[in-house]
Amino acid sequence: MKSYRLGIDIGGTFTDVVLIGAGGELYSKKILSTPRDYSLAIEQGVGELMAETGITGAQVAELVHGTTVATNTIIERRGAKVALVTTRGFRDVLALGRFRAPRLYDLTYRKPEPLAERRLCFEVTERVDAEGNMLQQVDEAELATIAEALKTEKVEAIALCFINSCINPDNELAAVRVLASKLPGVSISASTQLVPQIGEYERTSTTVVNAYIRPVVEKYVESLISRLSRMNITAPLMIMQSSGGILPGEVAARTPIFIIESGPAAGALGAQRLAAHVNLGDIIVFDMGGTTAKASIVRNNQLALAPETEVGGGAALGARMIKGGGYAVQVPTIDIAEVGAGGGSIANIDVAGGIHVGPRSAGAEPGPICYNRGGTQPTVTDANLLLGYLNPDALVGGDLKLAYDKAEAAMTDMGAKLKLSVTDTAYGIHLIANANMMRALKAVTSEGGHDPAKFSLVAIGGNGAVHAANLAEALNVRRIIVPPVAGLFSALGMLFADVEHQMITAFYRRLESVRAGDINAAAKSLMEEAHRMLITEGYTAEAQRNVVLHADIKYFAQSGALTMPFAGFPVTAAMLANVAKAYGDLHEQTFGYRSDTEPLQFVSLKIVGRGLSGTPRIPARVERAQERIAKEGTRRAYFGPELGWRETRLMPRKALGAKPVAGPLIVEEYDVTTVVRPGWSARVDDWNNIICERTEQARS
Amino acid sequence: MTDNINPIRLELLSNALASMCDNMLGLVVRTARSTNIKNTMDFAATVCDPQGQLVAQGVALPAQLGAMTPALKGCLAWVGDDFNEGDIIASNDPYAGASHLNDVFMFKPVFVAGERVAILGLILHHTDLGGRVPGGNATDSTEIFQEGLRIPPCKIYEKGRPNVALFRVIEHNTRVPHRVMGDIKAQIATLDGGEVELRTIISEFGVANYKAYTTELLNYTERLARANIAALPDGVVEFTDWNDDDGAGPGAGPVKLHVTITKRGEEFTLDFTGTDPAGRGALQPNLHFTTSCACAALRTVIDPDIPNNAGFFRVVKVIAPEGCFLNPRFPAATGARGQVGFRIRNLVFGALAQLLPDRIPACTGGSEFGIVFAGYELNEKKERKPFLHLEYHNTTGQGGGPVSDGQDAGPYCIGNLANVPVEIVEAESPLRVEQYAFLPDTGGAGKYRGGLGIVRQYRLLNEEATVQLRSDRHLHPCWGLHGGQPGAVARSTLNPETDHAEKLPSKFVRKMKEGDVFRAEMPGSGGYGHPFERDPEAVRRDVLQGKVTPAHARAAYGVAVTDKGVDLAETKKLRAAQSAR
Repeated sequence: MKSYRLGIDIGGTFTDVVLIGAGGELYSKKILSTPRDYSLAIEQGVGELMAETGITGAQVAELVHGTTVATNTIIERRGAKVALVTTRGFRDVLALGRFRAPRLYDLTYRKPEPLAERRLCFEVTERVDAEGNMLQQVDEAELATIAEALKTEKVEAIALCFINSCINPDNELAAVRVLASKLPGVSISASTQLVPQIGEYERTSTTVVNAYIRPVVEKYVESLISRLSRMNITAPLMIMQSSGGILPGEVAARTPIFIIESGPAAGALGAQRLAAHVNLGDIIVFDMGGTTAKASIVRNNQLALAPETEVGGGAALGARMIKGGGYAVQVPTIDIAEVGAGGGSIANIDVAGGIHVGPRSAGAEPGPICYNRGGTQPTVTDANLLLGYLNPDALVGGDLKLAYDKAEAAMTDMGAKLKLSVTDTAYGIHLIANANMMRALKAVTSEGGHDPAKFSLVAIGGNGAVHAANLAEALNVRRIIVPPVAGLFSALGMLFADVEHQMITAFYRRLESVRAGDINAAAKSLMEEAHRMLITEGYTAEAQRNVVLHADIKYFAQSGALTMPFAGFPVTAAMLANVAKAYGDLHEQTFGYRSDTEPLQFVSLKIVGRGLSGTPRIPARVERAQERIAKEGTRRAYFGPELGWRETRLMPRKALGAKPVAGPLIVEEYDVTTVVRPGWSARVDDWNNIICERTEQARS
Repeated sequence: MTDNINPIRLELLSNALASMCDNMLGLVVRTARSTNIKNTMDFAATVCDPQGQLVAQGVALPAQLGAMTPALKGCLAWVGDDFNEGDIIASNDPYAGASHLNDVFMFKPVFVAGERVAILGLILHHTDLGGRVPGGNATDSTEIFQEGLRIPPCKIYEKGRPNVALFRVIEHNTRVPHRVMGDIKAQIATLDGGEVELRTIISEFGVANYKAYTTELLNYTERLARANIAALPDGVVEFTDWNDDDGAGPGAGPVKLHVTITKRGEEFTLDFTGTDPAGRGALQPNLHFTTSCACAALRTVIDPDIPNNAGFFRVVKVIAPEGCFLNPRFPAATGARGQVGFRIRNLVFGALAQLLPDRIPACTGGSEFGIVFAGYELNEKKERKPFLHLEYHNTTGQGGGPVSDGQDAGPYCIGNLANVPVEIVEAESPLRVEQYAFLPDTGGAGKYRGGLGIVRQYRLLNEEATVQLRSDRHLHPCWGLHGGQPGAVARSTLNPETDHAEKLPSKFVRKMKEGDVFRAEMPGSGGYGHPFERDPEAVRRDVLQGKVTPAHARAAYGVAVTDKGVDLAETKKLRAAQSAR
């Protein structure tokens, strides 16, 4: 019987595979990624897991996949040879960009070069004005000349983006028809068919990114499907989007811009669904891995979405900070703040005797000193080992033996330079790493006007639960949730997502001049298409389709818009009359103030169409079926100068029950270690989450 | 490290203060009204010690690097001992340490058990504070009295109570009271929010420790700066650059700007002696703004992670004689000092290039271009409504560098302003942008080419508009280095390629009529090294990409590029012939 669901998350270093049965029994596998062909690691990982469990491909009912293939294609410059066709006068729209420098005071900084080189950027005579009036029809003779040039150049993909095409797409679509007829077999991406939103640089960039990565992603999806079918997995391949929904593989391959933040989105989405399922209220999702830590929030069961993202740039503290480091991609993306702090972050002493941690990371190779693979500089993981948080013999699940002595020797050397004991040095590194990560946590909470004390912290990623308690104390957070398979949670979380289609149409109008009929006319065909797509995918009953119309709105003189749903479709005069007040409310919630006298401006209309499954996406409880049980016992662990070294109890998750066990306590598992500090207790809830609660009064 | 200072705690304090300043910036973004503030992040949050020394500053905009200390000094000089819990001092007076009238500084003391332990500062750029031209950016004001409301240091809050008179004066001296008063309130709320967080930090450390550790933070910064500077070669280097004019219209010649940089051991002195006397217009920065811009350039050659606090300023000295163009006497206007501020950064780079020839690129391209279109248009109901469109294109690209070409449209790391999308311009103003693109052959020729100049061409769709332009580099191009050529100069043209075409100056206020076209050609960056040393293949690539024409390749680089590639024999002949000349 087809009863298993398979989640696969590919990261830069590891590929995580999670398999869950109808009863919530869970199997997982973490193996090294295979960057030359990422689908290879999937075949290996899934193959090994099936061999170990005896589950066959035919038993897999559903397959969801999160992948970095889109991002890596850009970072590694492995995309298609792409040409851009744009309006006369704007050949350099990509290279000009927005002129923002992401790093101040760095003379050597260069922004990434355009993905379409200048000689492959072509201008064509055509023009539409800002109201959508046709000023000049597109010149088909010029297009024919361009087509010849593209043929000679053996261009593999074409991006089209004309000025104001988001208001009137006629010229752009006419150009698509001409080029498609003259260049069969060449992949064409048109801005109006992807993201018809105002802003020519962002829209062009989005279109070019899509054109550049599409052939690679299409090939990847094709090869993955054939590998899966060799394993008798015939369940349709679904891929995680940056917004937290999933899409059929073939659809995602045509519009790969929607899956750029696939992996990080899966973790946040999984935590959001889990929080709703077990009634956690508002949560901070804290995801700490080897090189970075990420934070996002869920309020009123809603993830915070940013209207766009950047790809190929460095870590950024969420949507609001200075940007310009990567290629703009105008698609809704879960707003995640990221800092370069993880288990592999390296501690160093500067010329003036100051100590810093990160952002350089030892990564997986050579890794921390204790991995004994050639690392020589102390890392956060080495500090955690010396503090007694990690098992000194070996990582429980892994067969990796740890070189405790080497880590201790290096930390002693560093301590000598700082005139500190080895313990104070290790604890200092742990605290400085926390201070760095606090920037990401505050970026999504207090800097956004949200008091972190009102949230629970969901700790995921391989190192999240080691650091969570200390961070929670500093934030006055009183509850931490460590879900099962926290170290591979993205692979599990993506299985909770719904099918989701996003469609966008430009609608740049002042609120006062808009009637409900205008909105309905602009959105009607896309609403119908959303329903049609969902029906094709099997959501035939009306009740299985949740298609909602949203508007992006801003105060006239404001730069960024906020997204607001309409209560139904078609939009009525009453719904429209409510927009101004509702926008004021939303603005106040988001930014802390409203400005009711300022005129409102519609920017675009967005349709989100979700397919609702007949069976619950989230199981009633999950439990690892192949757990290697760690030994119970005790170990000495250090909790800071006030609490000192404590003999600390060691327990596996299975041994914890509904009754709280007082800290200090360390829960060791295959993929994650949970540190429960003195003053906290831990228990397991019905869903098999570890719930850590503060039992002492908050600091200060 | 001083004894009994724990380096871990020092790093934690440094991080906590930086995070607190970030949080204050977050508060401004959340509470301020003006979108300009939010888009350009034109604000700065700081914490100072009780004597007014800068201890920490959040993400510092280059133009605000050295701004806080002199303004606070001006305020402390006025307030004396009468600085109490619940007070907030406000000032925008360039002649009391502030910068230009739009930047309003506010300071709030933090008392613990009756003792002043810290002072919080916040600068916010306000949209309009009156004056003869909206926005306060006119180049041709000749006295500060024309530029708007001058607020000398005074208490906007006294012992927790608002100074109603001052609030009313500000409200009645701005064209956009709703917005400006909202931003003033945001500024005060942010200081209050910062105080709460700083109190938490102080109570975690204890007052005595907090004081000891902030003192050490300055010493640590000084040590770090000294170690960084010591690693650079010693020397005395000079450089001269020219501003086309003083901003106040015809009648004055170009303005000479000069700097001598002395690097000895662990210290830097930047001396602007030799600069021309102050002129008539509003382009002149005061000493504090000169200092900020000069230090911004300097920071690019040392570790950018050195904290920005008083420790840094112990090893860097900036001198500009009173009465010179970079330190004018009262009552000179300073409203449009942004243009010359960019020039100061490049001036300092020009000198540093001689000290560090293998690190400093040739002059950044651009004419410090800022343009305003304003007037009245008819809306859908045929009512006359005001419109105002303002945009800046301060830089165009990077100068050729020691190891690579200057990036075309490469961002400027010590000035950070986004452009405005063409589609937004067209949706919100009666303008059509007809071209926004690179200009071939405008990058300074060199072994490493300078970035290309950029054209932006506007057509007015309204019956009339007033246009104000602030720019430069029509006469004095962006310089090359070590044998590299300068970039092409800037040009402004009304109605190009018509029988009524008109060449316009770099700065003007004039009317435009419906259908008029304004073409702004912004200058290219300087080249690095002699153009004949450029790899002919690199020249061919530029020709292939349409960045250099074959004719320019021949004339400037001595390279013959044909359809088939580089004609090596011809190139050899060209280079020999031109070298012989």
